[in-house]
Amino acid sequence: MDSSSLKSAQLLEQLRLHLATDAGKELTKKVGLVYQLNIAPKKLGVDEEIYVVDLKKGEVTKGPYQGKPDATFSFTDNDFLGIATGKTNPQMAFIRGAIKIKGSISAAQKFTPDIFPKPAKL
Amino acid sequence: MRHLITGQNNCAPDGASSSNPFGALANAVLGQSSKAQSIKELPGPAVGVPSTSDFSTAAPLSTVPGSENEYKQDQRPLARVTVIQNPVILCLPRTPNCPPQRVLSGVLHSFLASGRAGVPFQPVPVPALGLSESEKQCIRDRSCIMARHILADQPEEYIQAQVNTLLHSLDIDNQMRGPMHGPYPEMEEYWKQSQSALRPAPMHNAADNWVTEFGQQSNNPDDWAHSFEQQFGPNGWASEFEQHQSQMAMGQMGGANMANLAAMEQSRMLAQTLASNNDPKFQLSQGADKWASEFSSEHNQGGQSENWINEFSKLNVTDEWAEEFSGGGFGESYADPWADEFQEQLSASRQSSGASRGVYVFSEMNPYVGHPNPMQEGQELFRKGLLSEAILALEAEVLKNSDNAEGWRLLGVTHAENDDDQLAIAAMMRAQEADPRNLEVLLALGVSHTNELEQGEALRYLYRWLQNHPKYGALAPPQSTDTPYGPDIVREAAQMSPDDADVHIVLGVLYNLSREYDKAIAAFKTALQLKPQDYSLWNKLGATQANSVQSADAVLAYQQALDLKPNYVRAWANMGISYANQGLYEDSIRYYVRAVAMNPKADNAWQYLRISLSNASRADMIAACDSRNLDALQKEFPL
Repeated sequence: MDSSSLKSAQLLEQLRLHLATDAGKELTKKVGLVYQLNIAPKKLGVDEEIYVVDLKKGEVTKGPYQGKPDATFSFTDNDFLGIATGKTNPQMAFIRGAIKIKGSISAAQKFTPDIFPKPAKL
Repeated sequence: MRHLITGQNNCAPDGASSSNPFGALANAVLGQSSKAQSIKELPGPAVGVPSTSDFSTAAPLSTVPGSENEYKQDQRPLARVTVIQNPVILCLPRTPNCPPQRVLSGVLHSFLASGRAGVPFQPVPVPALGLSESEKQCIRDRSCIMARHILADQPEEYIQAQVNTLLHSLDIDNQMRGPMHGPYPEMEEYWKQSQSALRPAPMHNAADNWVTEFGQQSNNPDDWAHSFEQQFGPNGWASEFEQHQSQMAMGQMGGANMANLAAMEQSRMLAQTLASNNDPKFQLSQGADKWASEFSSEHNQGGQSENWINEFSKLNVTDEWAEEFSGGGFGESYADPWADEFQEQLSASRQSSGASRGVYVFSEMNPYVGHPNPMQEGQELFRKGLLSEAILALEAEVLKNSDNAEGWRLLGVTHAENDDDQLAIAAMMRAQEADPRNLEVLLALGVSHTNELEQGEALRYLYRWLQNHPKYGALAPPQSTDTPYGPDIVREAAQMSPDDADVHIVLGVLYNLSREYDKAIAAFKTALQLKPQDYSLWNKLGATQANSVQSADAVLAYQQALDLKPNYVRAWANMGISYANQGLYEDSIRYYVRAVAMNPKADNAWQYLRISLSNASRADMIAACDSRNLDALQKEFPL
């Protein structure tokens, strides 16, 4: 994926690599859904970068999904980071309006921290 | 004192009532009635808080809890209460316009402080604050909950009385059940009871957060609560506040519960809004209800929600709030997530606020303060691998000598090894101030920023490493630091000096940043040939391998690191991560537990542990995780 200033991009890159592994393949079997992520650097909806986490095919790509994703999320860089690392409760973030969701709620429910590999620290 | 207060009548806060509230205050406290007299006699020798009734204004600025005061444990309640209760009055002489938020904040602080110190809160007539009904309601409900929490060991009537006193002071009509007791008669009795019940420090911060947050919530863009605190000096309230915030995450019982309660309150307002708004949102949240319970059971963190719920139901509160809450169609499961949100907002605000970024937050209750040679002690402890102890000793050192670059540097290194990059960065920044050209510091900053996913900053520090290097400085082109800077130049340097391990390390980090993992691995391996005993190098190698999904190799490298340094918390956490990323959750749990056992403040590890427990279908131990019950966890998951 090309360069981005978002921290989230780094995590997504790691996810992309992860999906090629055995554990990653397990994930596609377990979840099997397509998510579109609209991630904004600071303010929700502003200067968003769009990524697709395709847990059917096991791919992460940049740019809007050609088709209808099972769920589309909008969040800020920090909130996405929080969710991926288990620091932020997605449902809470949703309640306070920090996350916007479109699409299937049940699909959205499956978007949990265990999808994301955690970054190791140098 | 009376004169002081009454003499400031010309201070007219917005919307102030015209009567002389401060005279009334003076009267109430100093005493017309015999009841007031008994208050004065109340403060017994055990806690030693006599001067609170004096409201001596000369005291506050000098007794602002600076670093010295903090460590005199038995004096802390005194210092704290004295300072806190004063500002309510203090704000008046200082400025012609006393912002309502500041006064409100002061009053709330007083209330919390009194509860904390076991001193009964005394009525503080304040001018009309112009609170709206919903604000009043919010304050009322929150203070009920807060009071119940701070004073949880007190009988219900005492709690009620205290709350009533507070609300009455703020001129909030209290519709709570329970008659309005005169506070004074009870004080004497409960004072004795409360003497032994001084709350532990972590409660303080959560409560303060709440106060501050409330000040913000009142839509005052100027952040009165913050400015109020920061006004008393960078080493006073501001750093204390942040320090406490950082300790919030320890999830100690009191702190976590406080967060739960406050979060509940805050989100109650949201619930209200949601409930009153018709269909679309409501429908969606109905659907989200299931998600709510799912998440609350699986992903709850940051507090002992179950305990809190038990405690709450024990208190048998039938607030209108509670009824509204359940009546609005939100299940009980919503209780848990509120806490998480609050927790998260706190940490988010801590991280994102410019002031707190890079500000070093000292530990409380540092037994090494006053030690004759804390630097040496710190170095010794570090050598022995007692990282958390070393941190305390080194903090004592830099408190004494704030320009001890080596002290700050070692402190930063220790934090990094303890898996805390944020504090590592804060310490390293101070080291850098003291010694701007220190290469080790620059490299460490580059590494920590890389870990924090801050690529731009990381690159800048690594670039400065090169610039400041006696040998390679010439290679660094004279460019602005904004120009993207890749590994190529450093590769040149590496070719110049193939025997310099450090340049290969820098190269390795740069390749991590550019995601050229194979090259990074090669660079670290080269460095390891030159420095095979460097445990941190083994960890870097492992982490690079892990991040390039070569987790099995990573584990081997981490093992080498741990063989060299058994107490290397970061490596233990990284081990856990490697197993978890491979889907081997049961194994990962053991490593995470070991990591948090060594450093109970390793928040990332706690979060990851929770995720692993959930994935390993060990939801039975999640409560232990949330309450940070190390004993139970270690027993259940030994290595």
